[in-house]
Amino acid sequence: MTHLSLDKIAKRFGGLQAVSELSVDVSSGEIVGLIGPNGAGKTTVVNLITGMLKASSGEISLDGKDITQETAVNVARLGIARTFQNIRLLKHSTVLENVLIGFHRQGRTSMLANMFGLPSVWREQAEFEEKAHSLLKRFHMQRFAQQPAGSLSYGHQRRVEMMRALASSPGVLLLDEPVAGMNDTEAHDLGILFRELANDGLAVLLIEHNMRFVNAISDRLCVLNAGKMIAKGSPNEVMSNPQVIEAYLGPEKYDA
Amino acid sequence: MISLLHAFLPLAELAMIQCLLALSQYTVLRAGVFSVATAGYACLGAYSAAVLVTQYGVSPYMGIAAAALVGLIAGIVLSIPLALLRGTFQAIATTAFGEVVCAMALYAEPITQGAMGINGIPKVVGPLGLLVALVLVTILIVTISRSGIGRAFDAIRQDETVAVSLGVNVRKYHAFAFAISGTIGGLAGALLAFNTYSIVPEQFGYIMVVPVLAAVVLGGRVSVAGPIIGATILTILPELARPLAAQRFFLQGGILIFVMVYLPDGIVDTVLNRIKVSRSARHLVLQPQPRSS
Repeated sequence: MTHLSLDKIAKRFGGLQAVSELSVDVSSGEIVGLIGPNGAGKTTVVNLITGMLKASSGEISLDGKDITQETAVNVARLGIARTFQNIRLLKHSTVLENVLIGFHRQGRTSMLANMFGLPSVWREQAEFEEKAHSLLKRFHMQRFAQQPAGSLSYGHQRRVEMMRALASSPGVLLLDEPVAGMNDTEAHDLGILFRELANDGLAVLLIEHNMRFVNAISDRLCVLNAGKMIAKGSPNEVMSNPQVIEAYLGPEKYDA
Repeated sequence: MISLLHAFLPLAELAMIQCLLALSQYTVLRAGVFSVATAGYACLGAYSAAVLVTQYGVSPYMGIAAAALVGLIAGIVLSIPLALLRGTFQAIATTAFGEVVCAMALYAEPITQGAMGINGIPKVVGPLGLLVALVLVTILIVTISRSGIGRAFDAIRQDETVAVSLGVNVRKYHAFAFAISGTIGGLAGALLAFNTYSIVPEQFGYIMVVPVLAAVVLGGRVSVAGPIIGATILTILPELARPLAAQRFFLQGGILIFVMVYLPDGIVDTVLNRIKVSRSARHLVLQPQPRSS
């Protein structure tokens, strides 16, 4: 059972309050959507959780342990994996190699063992390769295994990034706009997959733009606007909240 | 035949030493560290070994081991302040390291004999010894490169943020790359000293830094064969081009410019990439298309 909780997190960049007083939490088995218009501070939240940025105030905890000041490497090693909004693959490595590096966190062999190529290292390697192939199968990507990752289409690159994040067998998965640039059918298929992952015990925090997609798969939603949380609750509650409608569509007087 | 062999052996020895230095340079570049400290390690290694053997009567083999150890320590120590730097700044800082080491060799006269250099070093390393060292180092590097360490190096080199987000401890892997590079550099320096009777400080300056870096650029930075082929070409080419007399260095420069512009991945990596792409393309065609999902 994993539980990630953000308590009154704030981040200032000089005079700009990028995120203020945000409290949100996500547990194993649920998908929590974090939505908001452009510039609302969604990606900043991901960077704060993963330790790429340090919060100005507030506390982030994983299973009750304070991780606010942890380095990015340690946060990753504790089992928080992410995908990037602007896909970041190892473009010159093959798809298989990209997935294999995801297993790094699970490596149990020492650096010295790796240096001298002890049998335990090759056993571990074979085990990771087998697991990588079953991930490729799950994402229908086996036939691209030996392709350089940079040569794939956009949608396929997104899948590689997700496989890489999953390879680390994280407790928490942060997805930063995972269906950006995909059509509704592709997004729907991925939505089913995210639900399966949550059912398998993963805590999923989904940063999204695509409202239809988020509403369809999230258990709870949290809406950010200009760094402030303006609404929280079930998708239906949130969507009928006047502040949310205003943030997305503008004040009512322009509607008439 | 015998005279041909006699003419060829010194060149082969030189090529093998250059290969070792290029492998030292390759190790850091593979890990995404733009360090050019190899010549500095070689200087430390060569002088440690030479001083120990000529002044303290230590056995040459202990001298070689000590040189590798000195290189290892230098690499680890250097990695601590350099963990904060990236890219060009690492190159500048490591260039300064090389200059400092050379200056020390030049001015610590009571120990290093200054500009006179150390002479009368016993020649205990011949072509066979160099070959053994090169084979052992190559095996070590191939093992590292095919293990999880090589994968971590590749991730760090291509995108450090991604590597960090997957729990790769960049500082630790960079320190490891520095340590291996230092060990090989120190070892190569000692072998050079025991192969050529004498060493002088200036041979470890730019005159060593540039060809070693060029060898890796020419051959390739990813595959282990890259630095070996690059160093071999760059050592043999000036000899083949001897009829061109003083103009032969223009040929060398011309080839380097050509490779950097048209084969930026280096000769070996370009060829391997071509093979990989054509193989995977065939793979795609031959496999049945799965039902679109």
